[in-house]
Amino acid sequence: MKLGLLFVDELRGFYKSKVMIFLWIGLPIIALLFRFVSASISGQNIPFTLVSSIVVSSLAGTLASVMLAVFIINEKNRHVYELFLIRPLKRRDIILAKFFSVYTCVAIASLIAVLAGMITDYATTGTLSMTILNNAGQSLATSLSMIAVSCAAGVLIGVASPSVLVGAILVIYGGNQISVIPLVPTLLNLQDATVFTIVLAGATAAGLLAAAVALFERKQF
Amino acid sequence: MTSNRLNDSNEFVVLRNVTKSFGSFRALNSISFGIKEGEIFGYIGPNGAGKTTTMKILVGLISDFQGEVSIGGYQVPKRKDEIHKLLGYLPQTVAFQEWRTVNHALKTLGKLSGLSDAEVEGRIPEILDLLGLADVRHKKISQLSGGMTQKVGLAQALLHEPKLLVLDEPLGGLDPLSRHQFKDIVLKLGQKGTTILFSSHILSDVQDVADRIGIINRGRIKQVGTLNELKSRLSSQKTVEVLLSYVSDKWQEFGAIKNVTTVEQPSPGRVLVKLETNADEDQVVNDIVQSIVKLGIRVRGITLLEPSLDEIYLNYVQEAEN
Repeated sequence: MKLGLLFVDELRGFYKSKVMIFLWIGLPIIALLFRFVSASISGQNIPFTLVSSIVVSSLAGTLASVMLAVFIINEKNRHVYELFLIRPLKRRDIILAKFFSVYTCVAIASLIAVLAGMITDYATTGTLSMTILNNAGQSLATSLSMIAVSCAAGVLIGVASPSVLVGAILVIYGGNQISVIPLVPTLLNLQDATVFTIVLAGATAAGLLAAAVALFERKQF
Repeated sequence: MTSNRLNDSNEFVVLRNVTKSFGSFRALNSISFGIKEGEIFGYIGPNGAGKTTTMKILVGLISDFQGEVSIGGYQVPKRKDEIHKLLGYLPQTVAFQEWRTVNHALKTLGKLSGLSDAEVEGRIPEILDLLGLADVRHKKISQLSGGMTQKVGLAQALLHEPKLLVLDEPLGGLDPLSRHQFKDIVLKLGQKGTTILFSSHILSDVQDVADRIGIINRGRIKQVGTLNELKSRLSSQKTVEVLLSYVSDKWQEFGAIKNVTTVEQPSPGRVLVKLETNADEDQVVNDIVQSIVKLGIRVRGITLLEPSLDEIYLNYVQEAEN
């Protein structure tokens, strides 16, 4: 299956890229710094698990979507895809492989950051309350949902945008706005908001990806 | 044979009345030509003539065009999957993702072309040896020179032993030795039955390897034929070159020979005798030889000059400009 081959291939390229190295190592460090700085300013010890989730949702989505858009625009403009498009594979596989590989990397980075938070909390307080774990789980689910939408928006903008500059601006200003769509159920205080968030994020990401695939299918190289 | 098969001749590649516009610019204007199976077809023309557009249509990168195109009987772009199995393509600007090593790029592209793991593992060292790239197998492509990257591009095009090879300016950026190697490879592939379409600005290279040549200018095919056919179609003035052993004024006597229009000496000892367009060149050469004997001139050689591919190319391109 060509999608599987491309997915593993892209994963190999992304996991050691500079942006991903920042996400693997930088996210937990930033969360740690944020926690201790906020503790020394406010005098309150906010659980690190929660801090990690907040940092993940605010940073990882933006970085992942910018990275996806920039990679796609660069590769498009450098004619990298020509060598793929003249082979017997579906055009959509190229786009979907990129999305899934970046999303997988970012999801793993997010899990590492939250896990690091839990370990730090346990090491400093000697306990982990169920409330904190539940909150962390919910906010992680929300973060991953938002990241999925960000990544899909990054792919769409990458396919549509003619230049890296235009793409980056569109992702930072437009992509991030779209990524708050999954928060609507939480803002409306719906019961089982997390489930609705995941479903809404899945639908939005699928819609954005479908638009990206349709554009890419029609593109003349 | 499926209903989508177009050609009933022995032509492997067929383009019929192909037109392509980019906005108001007409890149191709109803071009038609065919390439026989196993033929090496050289495609020449000035920058912006439509060579790359033709190739991109053939390989399916441009699909919104008018006219009919087929490869191996399969209609382009309808039967892309079948066509892409037959095809190897080297684009004018070959680029790979920066993180890829030569080995990794070839592995992925080989597998995407339908080769199994074992086939890819067997073919990669073979093709790298052939192109002199064995030493850089595990290097990142971004660390290679332009010429080496071009060779990696050629490697990916040859990897799956395609039936049709489309090479867009494959010799650009290659050193003379690599160009020589490349021409050898193309000739060997042609002998094995691979159909090859390649474009180049280096006309001598086209002349060396192409069975037939197509000249395109401003989106129109000006001529298609073998080099000899193109030469014979060119109604240029024939010229006989006489190389004298020593400087002498006696050469001016050649002007009296029948069907000779002018005689000139562009450099000491080199005399050019220009003939009338419809002159029998064998008869005139014979008359010149007799005149040389009669005048007692010593000569090093007599040659009937034929138009080179450069002259043919310039003639058709300038004709279009005028």
